[in-house]
Formats: sequence, structure tokens, C-alpha cells
Amino acid sequence: MPVRQLSETLVNRIAAGEVVERPASVVKELVENALDAGAHRIEIATDGGGRRLIRVADDGSGMSSADLDLAVERHATSKLDGDDLLQISTLGFRGEALPSIGSVARLTITTRQAGQASGDHAWAITVDAGAKSEIKPAALSEGTRVEVKDLFYATPARLKFLKSDRSEAEAVREVVRRLAMSRPDVAFTLVSDERAPVTWPAALPGAPGRLARLADILGSDFRANSVEVGAERDGVVVEGYAGLPTHNRANSLGQYLFVNGRPVRDKLLIGVIRGAYADYLPRDRHPVVALFVTLPPREVDVNVHPAKTEVRFRDNTLVRSLLMHALKDGLARDAQRAASTGGSATIAAFRPAALPRRDNFDWRRSLSRPLPPRGALAAWSTAEPGFAEAAQSVFDVGSAAATARVEMAEPASDLLDRPLGAARAQVHDTYIVSQTRDGLVIVDQHAAHERLVYERMKAGLDQNGIARQILLIPDIVELDPADIERLLSRSEELKRFGLAIEPFGPGAIAVRETPSMLGEIDAAALARDLAEHLAEWDEALPLERRLMHVAATMACYGSVRAGRRLKPEEMNALLREMETTPNSGQCNHGRPTYVELKLTDIERLFGRR
Amino acid sequence: MKVTIERAELLKSLSHVHRVVERRNTIPILANVLVRAEKSALSLKATDLDLEVIESIAAEVAPAGSTTVPAHMFYEIVRKLPEGSQVVLESSSDRAVLAVRAGRSCFTLQTLPESDFPDLAAGDMTHKFTLAGADLRRLIDKTQFAISTEETRYYLNGIYLHVAGAGKEQSLRAVATDGHRLAQTDLPVPAGAAGMPGVIVPRKTVTEVQRLIEDSQAEVSIELSSAKIRFTIGNVVLTSKLIDGTFPDYQRVIPSGNDKELVVDKKDFEAAVDRVSTVSSERGRAVKLSLTGGKLTLSVTNPDSGSATEEIEVEYDSDPIDIGFNSRYLLDIAAQLDGEVAVLRLADPGSPTLIEDKDAKGSLYVLMPMRV
Repeated sequence: MPVRQLSETLVNRIAAGEVVERPASVVKELVENALDAGAHRIEIATDGGGRRLIRVADDGSGMSSADLDLAVERHATSKLDGDDLLQISTLGFRGEALPSIGSVARLTITTRQAGQASGDHAWAITVDAGAKSEIKPAALSEGTRVEVKDLFYATPARLKFLKSDRSEAEAVREVVRRLAMSRPDVAFTLVSDERAPVTWPAALPGAPGRLARLADILGSDFRANSVEVGAERDGVVVEGYAGLPTHNRANSLGQYLFVNGRPVRDKLLIGVIRGAYADYLPRDRHPVVALFVTLPPREVDVNVHPAKTEVRFRDNTLVRSLLMHALKDGLARDAQRAASTGGSATIAAFRPAALPRRDNFDWRRSLSRPLPPRGALAAWSTAEPGFAEAAQSVFDVGSAAATARVEMAEPASDLLDRPLGAARAQVHDTYIVSQTRDGLVIVDQHAAHERLVYERMKAGLDQNGIARQILLIPDIVELDPADIERLLSRSEELKRFGLAIEPFGPGAIAVRETPSMLGEIDAAALARDLAEHLAEWDEALPLERRLMHVAATMACYGSVRAGRRLKPEEMNALLREMETTPNSGQCNHGRPTYVELKLTDIERLFGRR
Repeated sequence: MKVTIERAELLKSLSHVHRVVERRNTIPILANVLVRAEKSALSLKATDLDLEVIESIAAEVAPAGSTTVPAHMFYEIVRKLPEGSQVVLESSSDRAVLAVRAGRSCFTLQTLPESDFPDLAAGDMTHKFTLAGADLRRLIDKTQFAISTEETRYYLNGIYLHVAGAGKEQSLRAVATDGHRLAQTDLPVPAGAAGMPGVIVPRKTVTEVQRLIEDSQAEVSIELSSAKIRFTIGNVVLTSKLIDGTFPDYQRVIPSGNDKELVVDKKDFEAAVDRVSTVSSERGRAVKLSLTGGKLTLSVTNPDSGSATEEIEVEYDSDPIDIGFNSRYLLDIAAQLDGEVAVLRLADPGSPTLIEDKDAKGSLYVLMPMRV
């Protein structure tokens, strides 16, 4: 077959394969266009998961008829000024989206340029599978409205690869959520046939608006269970909110990174989050985090991927360390707080005890539950049922009295002013109940003490360094040259953790000293593990984790067990130490060490409020 | 099969044999012991596929026969039978069960066919020699503590037994190391051992042999090839596979030029190390040795609980030195020293230290310091 130049339409369809992957990517391109056009209000409507219809309407600047004609051409854009790809301040710039969409669907654009005389009107253009129509006059009061119908009808193969309407609609929703998080000052409305319409009203710009928008999108739990983080260095600004370790999830989908307002998915973020939370969360739990990085456009390359979900930083290490710094700082500052959802879930588990029980009719479920949640109580519906059940069994009223011991004396009033209050009782020889000025606190004595011992040990290790056992026979580990390079470049850091390595000819390193805390270890496996982890996440977590695991195991053995009776003085001492120890709000497994019940919550239980 | 036997005899043999049997097995027959009766002797055999123990004892047999029964259960039954009783073992006609009777007690044990019982094909043994029980015990006792437990370095999971040196200087040598310390002990080469291959005897085998010779002064006959080793101790025959690997060139790590010589009373030293290490935390307990003039200062600092120091008068006239060791390793080695005076030859805080008895030659220990 002879070589031939491909037709324009075919070229656009090929490009569409990269840019327009599924309905969600169309929505992303169109909403980004709307944002670039300076819209304050964007309305997105989909039908059939975006397969039948996607409509994005904004109140932005609009286009003139000449611009409109050119906009659907390939590589035509108003967003690049000159030829400099390094100064990109808009979300889009490639000039690919509209022609690509037009080549695989029925695209209609109606637009009216802002600031025109009142006699002027709107214009519309239609592109049907790459065939462009004439520009016609149309009716529209302001902005631009883009309609995409029958997506992928021109490429049936792609159509077959779409998932169910429901999951496509979900993907659209996710895209809109991400964009909405990045721009709290713009109002978003999302209408689909799958769910009730959602509107996120425009909020104030800056931090308060951002938190309000995040709470709108991630749930009000996030507002109550996050800390503000921030850091700045060399023109790079990191802002955002980090969820408390106790507010964790089973997957990393609740982690958002925005670079110059652009939602990106980056391994960098995942690595940093892992590192920052390593001490608080087990490996399989993930925190909820939203971070916003602002840096000069020259410092970041967004032209890595057609869909622009990946970016490259000129100074990766700077951004990394800044993110890490921001997260760690924020967490350390507020590390004593535990998630309040625990408390709310506990309230949900309380049931009036005196009500008669009828076995075959489960009316208690509807009657004795608290009224539909509002405000602080909103968490009960979303909290993990597992915890609610556990909490419930703790408060199983029948047997509680038998093992509860009550401290009768009136507590000193200065203790009541402390964050964790004055210890009043120990129940089931496991939980400390203490009274504060405005509520009560229940502490899991083992979890709390374990964390205290662990923190003490960790501080000791930090302060005194880790003793290293020199090896009689150095372990020679054969590795990839790139891995060796990575390991050796971090050898100082590794030495601090007790592992001394040095180069051993080409393609191998010699492990000379190992942390004596770990005893006899498989140094080769550890070195390989470290090299892989360094390659992927750029940090020496496996070694740290192993050391901390040993420390944690020792902490577990060295701490007060559940079932041990504590005297009032001991209980108060534990509470006081928790108040002064960083990170005492959760145990080593990410569970809370205490929950707090506000007096208002208790009053609510009795219908006093 | 019908066997009548003294309970004490049977119990002693079973106690030897049943230890080889692993508690959990994927192959059912490995949980069993093979019971074979012929010509007025009862032989018991157990294996874990790497190690096999056979022991025969005199018994009244009529008629002969063989079967297999669960080893641990059989042992427990015999252990609980009244002392001094006669035990009768009788297999049923279809050989599905074995009856164990003593006095008024009667047990029936499910059997598995003896034809399924694995045999550790010994193959040809190329070398054969005998050692006095006490000598073999010494080889094992002095080195066993240094055997590595790290499974990935499987070639360190045993005692390396070989003939070292050349000409008149030759000796039968046992070496073990875990990468942190090394223990070596020598014996004169027994007749028949010359030219034997160097073999690595696995830890489990070492432990079993150690138990078998615990209270016997008898000679032990050792046969070996490059793949297997067999110990015959009285009426017990223990055959084991060897670790298929290359033991590292240990001689390179034994320092020869350590010129700082510390001579110390062993008991005092051991007790002092033990005392000061009381304040150290559970793991990675480092004890620091500071030497100046004729004085050794041992010290341990634990930031959580406190510190300890102790001074000992020693013979030392080299330059002052500070060096750290894992206290457990020091105690392990001290426990193996026979003499009253120990010699530590030091070089610097980052190099191996040699520890020996001042008088009794034949064993030496190498210990790597810690950086503290």
C-alpha cells in the first residue's frame, strides 16, 4: 500500500483517541475552556452518562463569529501568547479539544461575545463527525454553550469500550468535583439523569472559601477532621488541608493535588503522603488530603500528557520536601486531636435502655435512633458501621455496672479545664471515662499508653541514634547500577537509621553495618527493598518502617494492657501525659485513642435539645 | 506383629525418636513413627525427610511385623503408662490399628501402611571415623551458639565441619558464624577423617546429636559423604542430609594482626558485663569497653533508665581504646571459655576482635564490635 497523507478528519480522530477518552474527558476539556474564559457560573448537564448529551454552559467572555469559526480548527487556540510553552497560565493551550470532540460526535457551540453592543447577537456553529457547518446567528444572552451529542458515534469501536452509563456519569462527577475544588470562586451546577442535581455555590476566594468548597465536596466530616497546612519557599507555595490520621479511608482516592489550579494525579503526592503519614497509619489505610501548589509557570511543565493529568516540576525535590514539610508540620501541630466522628458514631449507638423489647418487630431502629443528623452529628450516617458496632458493645448497658469503678470525690476544678479533663471512672477495666467542662472523654487505656511508650521510644532513637552492629562478613548485594546510585546517594541518611553501605565494584554494594535493634537480618532483601522504594517514592521508608515496627512491638509489650485496673492517680497521669505528647490522638494502627462526647450531644440523646 | 517390651526402654527410645517428627506436616505419614519388630528386637524410625533417626531395642517378638503410628501420641501414651509396666504392642489382623496394652490400659492407634514410609536413601558413605562422645560434644557446644538463624543465608544455618591446615598442623575443625560473630574449635584429626569433604551440618541435626550424646560417654561413629552424614551412637543411628552450599572463606575474617592484648579474669569479666547490661534496653544492648593502663571500664547508658559502669583490674599496656560490643554476644562467648583467664585481642573500634582462652588452646572466637 502506498504511503499517503491522512485526511484532516482522520488526524482529528486519532488525536481524539488521546484527548477524548471517555465522556468525562470531554467534560474536563469543556469546563476548563469555560474557566479559561473567566466564567463565574458553570452548568454541566449530562444524559446517558454523557454518551447521549453533554452540555456545558458558562457566563464567560464568549467568542466573536470569526473566533468561533477558527476555534473548531485543529491547533487553533486563543490561550497561547506567542510561542512560549513555558509561560502557560491557562488550563488549556494545545488547541486540540474542540476539533477532536467535533471529529467523533455532533458538536454545537453557541456563543456571544461579552461587551458587544446590544444590537449584536449570538452565533452558533455545528461540527458533525468532522464536517463543519456554516456559522449561523443564534439566541443566547451571555457566555458560551457547548453541546456534545452522541459522543463517539463516528468511532463505534470506542463506543464499545465505554463502561455503563452509571460509571461514566460517576467519572464525569469526579472530574467536576476536582475542578470545583480548584476554583471555589466559581459556582458549579451538575445535572445528570443518574443523580439529583448538585450545585456548589460560589464561595469566597482564598482559604475560607476553599475550606467551604472542600467541605461541600468531601463532606462536612472533612471540615471537622482536617488541619490547614501551608509552606512556602523559593516562590513555591503549598496550601491546603490534610485530614487527621483517624479520618482515613481504605483507598487513596481521597487525595487531591492541584498544581497552579490544575487537578493532577501524581505519584509524587502519593509518595509524600505515605511518608508523612507513615507514623500514624497502617500501610493499607489512606488519609484524605487536598493540597494546592502554586508556583511560577516556568517552574513546571504541563505539556507532558495530552490530557494534562501529569506534570513535571523543574525542581522535584523542592516541591517534594515542601509538601512533606507542610503535611508533617500541620499534623504535628494538631496531632493530638482524634477524629470527632468516633464520638458521633458512638452517640448513634446509644439507645434508650428502658424501652421494652419486642422480638419480631424491629421498631427500635426507626424510633430510637437520633433524628436525621444535622451539624456535628452528621457523621453518623457515614461513619464506619464496624466502629459503631464496637462502640455499641462497649456500652451494652446490661453488664456495665458490674465492672465500672467510680471515683466519687469531686475532681479538682483545674483538672476539668484540661483538654482531656479529670478522670472519673474506669469501665470494664479498659476504658477511662473523664469529665471535661463541656462533655466527657472516653480513653482506651491500652491504645493510649502504647502510643505514649512508642513516642517516647521514637524520641529516644532520634536523640541517641541507632546503634549499629558491624558485620563480620559484609553482605554483598548485587543490584542494578541505577539502584546502587540511588542507595549510595542516600547513604548518610541510611547510616542514621543504622545501615552502612558502600560501593563494591560495578553492580554491587557491600552492607557493612546493620541496625543492631533488628538483630540478624536479611540485609540483601532489605537493600533491594530500599532500592525499589527509593526508585518509586524517593524515600527510605522500608528501613524506617522496620525499625518503627520493632519499636511498636516493644511498645505494645511495654504498655498497660486492657484489663488492668488503674487507680485514679494513674488515670489522671495518663491523661496529662497524653495532653503533652504529640500524636497521642491515635494509636499505632490509626484508631483513635480517645473519643469525646460533648455535653450538647448527651443532652440531645435525652431530647433536651 | 506382637511385641512385649519394658516401658522404660520403650519410653527412652521414643523420646529420642519422636523429637525428629515435626508437629505439623503436610504429608500424613511424616507424623508417624515406623515400628518394626524382628528377631527379638524392636526398631523405631522417624524422619522429617532431612533427618532420620533409627533406634533399636531388645524386645520379645512373636510374630515379627511392622507398621506406623502417630509418633507424638504414641510417645505421650507410653510416657503416661505406669512405671515398671510391661507394654504389649499388637497389630490387628488387617493391620489397620495397633493395640498398645499395659496393665489394665488399652489403646488402639490408627496406622498407616509402612510401605509408604519414606526412606532417606543414604547412598555411599566415603569417609568413616570415630570420636569420643566428649570430643564431639565439645565440637558442638563451643560453636553451636553462633549458628545463624537467618534463613536466607542458608549456608550459615549449620556447623561447618572440615579438616583444616596442612601436614602435621592438620585438625578436625568446626566453625559457625551468623555474620556478627564466629566460633571455631579444633580437634586432632581422627583416623579415617583425612581427605574428608568439608560439610555443613544443619542446626536441627546438631541439636539432635547434642541431645543424644548428652549423657553418654560412648564412642560415636561418624560416616559421611558430600551429601549426607550419619552418626551412630550406641543403638541409635541418626542420618541427615547436609546443607548444600559453600561455607564462606571464614579464615579471612579471623584477624591475625590484632596487637592490643587484654588479659582478664573470665569470671570477673562475665559477671561485670552481665551486671552493667542490666540497665540496657531489651534489644541492641551495647556495652562499652574503655581501656587505659591496667584498667578496664565497662559502661552501659540507657537514656530511658540510667547508666552503669564497672571497673576491672586487667593486664593491658597498649594505647587506650574505646570499643562497643553487644553484651549478649560477649556473654555467649564468655560462657564457652573454659579457662580462668581470657584474652581479648583488639585492633580498633571498627575491626573484629579475637577472644581466646589464655591456656586451653583449640577454640577461638571472633566478635565484631558495635558502633555506639
